Amino acid sequence: MSTLVFLEHHGGVIQKGALGVLARALALGGDVAGVVVGHGVADAAASAGAFGATTVYVVDDPAFEAPLPQPRVDALEAVVAASGAENILFASSVLSADIAAGLSARLDAGLNWDVTDVRIEGGQLIGKRPALGDTVLVDVGWTSTPRIALVRSGAFEPVETGGSATLHDVAVTLQDFSTAAQIVEQAHEQASGPSIEDADVIVAGGRGLGTADGFRLAEELAAALGGAVAATRAVVDAGWYPYATQVGQTGKSVSPKLYIALGISGAIQHKVGMQNSGVIVAINKDPNAPIFDFADFGVVGDLNQVAPKLAELVRARTA
Amino acid sequence: MTETEPTGAPFPHQVFAADVRAADYPPPFSSAEVIAGPTDAPDERIEVGVLIVGGGPAGLACAIRLGQLIEEDPATAERLGEVPVALVDKGKQPGSHLLSGAVMNPRAVRRLFRGRPEQLEGVPTYGEVPGEGVYLLTRKRALRIPPPPTLRNHGNWIISISQMCRYLAEQAEVGGTFVLPETAADRLLVDHGRVVGIRSGDKGRGKEGEPLGNFEPGSDIVAGVTILAEGTAGHLTGAALDHFGLNGREPQIWELGVKEVWRVPKPLRRIVHTMGWPLRKPARYREFGGSWLYPMGDEMISLGFVVGLDYRDLELSAHDLLQEFKTHSFVRAILDGGERVAWGAKTITSGGWHAMPRSLGAPGLLLAGESAGLVDLARLKGVHYAIESGRLAAEAAFRSLQRGENPGRIGAFDGYDAEVRNGYLGKSLREVRNMRQAFEKGFFVGGGLASAMTVSKGKFPPKEFHNEPDAAAPLLRTDRASRYPAPDGVLTFDKLSSVFASGNRTRDDQPDHVRIERKVPRDVAEMWAWMCPAQVYEVGEDDGDGTVEVKLTPSNCVQCGAITARGGRLTPPEGGSGPEYTLT
Repeated sequence: MSTLVFLEHHGGVIQKGALGVLARALALGGDVAGVVVGHGVADAAASAGAFGATTVYVVDDPAFEAPLPQPRVDALEAVVAASGAENILFASSVLSADIAAGLSARLDAGLNWDVTDVRIEGGQLIGKRPALGDTVLVDVGWTSTPRIALVRSGAFEPVETGGSATLHDVAVTLQDFSTAAQIVEQAHEQASGPSIEDADVIVAGGRGLGTADGFRLAEELAAALGGAVAATRAVVDAGWYPYATQVGQTGKSVSPKLYIALGISGAIQHKVGMQNSGVIVAINKDPNAPIFDFADFGVVGDLNQVAPKLAELVRARTA
Repeated sequence: MTETEPTGAPFPHQVFAADVRAADYPPPFSSAEVIAGPTDAPDERIEVGVLIVGGGPAGLACAIRLGQLIEEDPATAERLGEVPVALVDKGKQPGSHLLSGAVMNPRAVRRLFRGRPEQLEGVPTYGEVPGEGVYLLTRKRALRIPPPPTLRNHGNWIISISQMCRYLAEQAEVGGTFVLPETAADRLLVDHGRVVGIRSGDKGRGKEGEPLGNFEPGSDIVAGVTILAEGTAGHLTGAALDHFGLNGREPQIWELGVKEVWRVPKPLRRIVHTMGWPLRKPARYREFGGSWLYPMGDEMISLGFVVGLDYRDLELSAHDLLQEFKTHSFVRAILDGGERVAWGAKTITSGGWHAMPRSLGAPGLLLAGESAGLVDLARLKGVHYAIESGRLAAEAAFRSLQRGENPGRIGAFDGYDAEVRNGYLGKSLREVRNMRQAFEKGFFVGGGLASAMTVSKGKFPPKEFHNEPDAAAPLLRTDRASRYPAPDGVLTFDKLSSVFASGNRTRDDQPDHVRIERKVPRDVAEMWAWMCPAQVYEVGEDDGDGTVEVKLTPSNCVQCGAITARGGRLTPPEGGSGPEYTLT
């Protein structure tokens, strides 16, 4: 079975989610290759070698400078033809979702999206997909090849293996309609510290922080741990923290190694966005808060006292 | 003012009249703002022959019947244009916003599929009602009582309205209807006194209404005939009734139902209705309602609790009443070892005959199903009324589009109006026309009057009853909420996890679609917070002048419509928002 993993990159750095999918694909066995599309991306492509990719297809052309989906559908079509890949895996992102959908239409291939795991059973690729608001997991399959899957962000961790990749250049002819769209302007949100999708440590704040000002506690603790700050829907709604930091059903799904929840009750709408975290620590004054049902460590107490003390201890340790 | 409870009553003895009414704090909304002429350039409008608003049983029956008529009469069909029939629905997919008990009288669906046995056999059901029991509950006991004649369901079918209408939507599409889900009907297009279609809602607007990156403006969808089949508390229906002066003799009123579907280890072999506990019987509380338990095959049970929205106690919560109801030993025994698999809430139009629109049509416009007020609350039936009225509306619309006819003529739809009122729909509604209002006199007096009305087919008592709008109920406070059980996550659930179970995953950063007065007395704010099954309202800061600020979380909303009954106004959010019911 041969598998192709789309290695999305930004500014020459392959995304963590894509490397996670690569690690999973390697674990499944068979021929696994990566594909990098862009302009001046040879170094980025080579860097995938350290994460176990032995073969990386490279489509390198000024036409792929802008992160537009349609030209990449042409590129992927050419790479699929060149490699004869049977499985094409994407880590979910705005760009990858567009490409996967376009490729699915182009190749008349089945696409399973929001997949949280893939495995091989009886020689068949089987995906696992949460349904009915993550309350049940269903197995999904494909009736023909190639099979396309869009993997939920944060589902797999990258595995550093060391090693180097052989790069294969693929030439692509763009369709006329693929060059119709242009990017006029790109604006980046000013972010300090890591984004919550990439952070290994997240300190998240909820209603229990009391006021928008209360987020200083979360920021202080996050700074001490080198982590990012996230928020619940309730506090984003109240305007205490930006929407980009919202974790949960209608926000982002995150899977840091450590998730510290300050004053978060743990409603299921929040839980589904962070339940894949490694270690969950909850600090809440209400001993009946649902979050204690799924936290690994819990502190029932006043977070105004616990959080600063914790930050102080962390700083003392790391100093 | 304080009143004293009769001794032995399960509630605290103090009753405080708050003496405020939600109706005194009207929402910032006027029907006029959603009535407009077309704004798109003529060549950008979407033109259809007949436009149906709402993919419930009424709208889908209408679409199916139109498909049949088109097949039978190609000459008229040609006059309907390239898109002869289109149906818009605000849900994610057909059935997403549909919730009902439901035990359906199959009469109307048989008529709809007359001569088409394969289509009739395909209707998904859980079979005929296998038997039934009606119980009067007290806190500790369940007393079996003889079913009142209105609650005899022999021969009726048990269905999930969401499942059935997914099937009906497929049949409508087979018949040529263009079904457009995720499309909210935002405005009613009226040109020179005639309804000419709707404008669909914008998509991709932010909290303050600003266009986001994925902004997509709505479109004018113009049609020869527009049929409103919006179901309960319909957005354009309310506006159309105001605009054309069609509101009924009595103000429309509603009940609120909260429903769960359970997977259970042992089958329930009959349908069950209960009255009484946890509702209170004295008239001054105006707590009218009851429960249902219906088997859905051997493995699932549909259960729900319904309560009239003219209640007075500001801590009344239909969701929590259902949770409380499940703790009764009678119900616990049925659910024992089971697991909740779905939850939802919806209002039911309950004004009956007296609150029906004065006319079921206006130039270019027809009303069907609950938009026409067609629910028989005494018999707990609405689905077959919806299907039958949808079918009749299709025939009226089709007739009006034949050569020589004009759907924009005043009185063009009088024939439809007469068919509904004089047919079995109107006849049975007329018989029970005073029943709901009688229950404002309390459980026992109301029950007695109801029996008299049933026996006399509505002739006794001879007087006609009146009712106030639900929002006019003077509020009371009796510490009712202290009796609601604390959610245990097994038998009883809180509102937020229930909203999750409804499949709702609405985008948070869209404009507020619930219109309410944001500064109200604390009693009104608390009443909304308790009333809402989906935790949309929260009592905010005291403003220091006797009012509080009401905070909203509109993305929790499952669009049940209760706020429209109780002093606010529900408008449709972005198409595709809200619950995603599949089993309800």
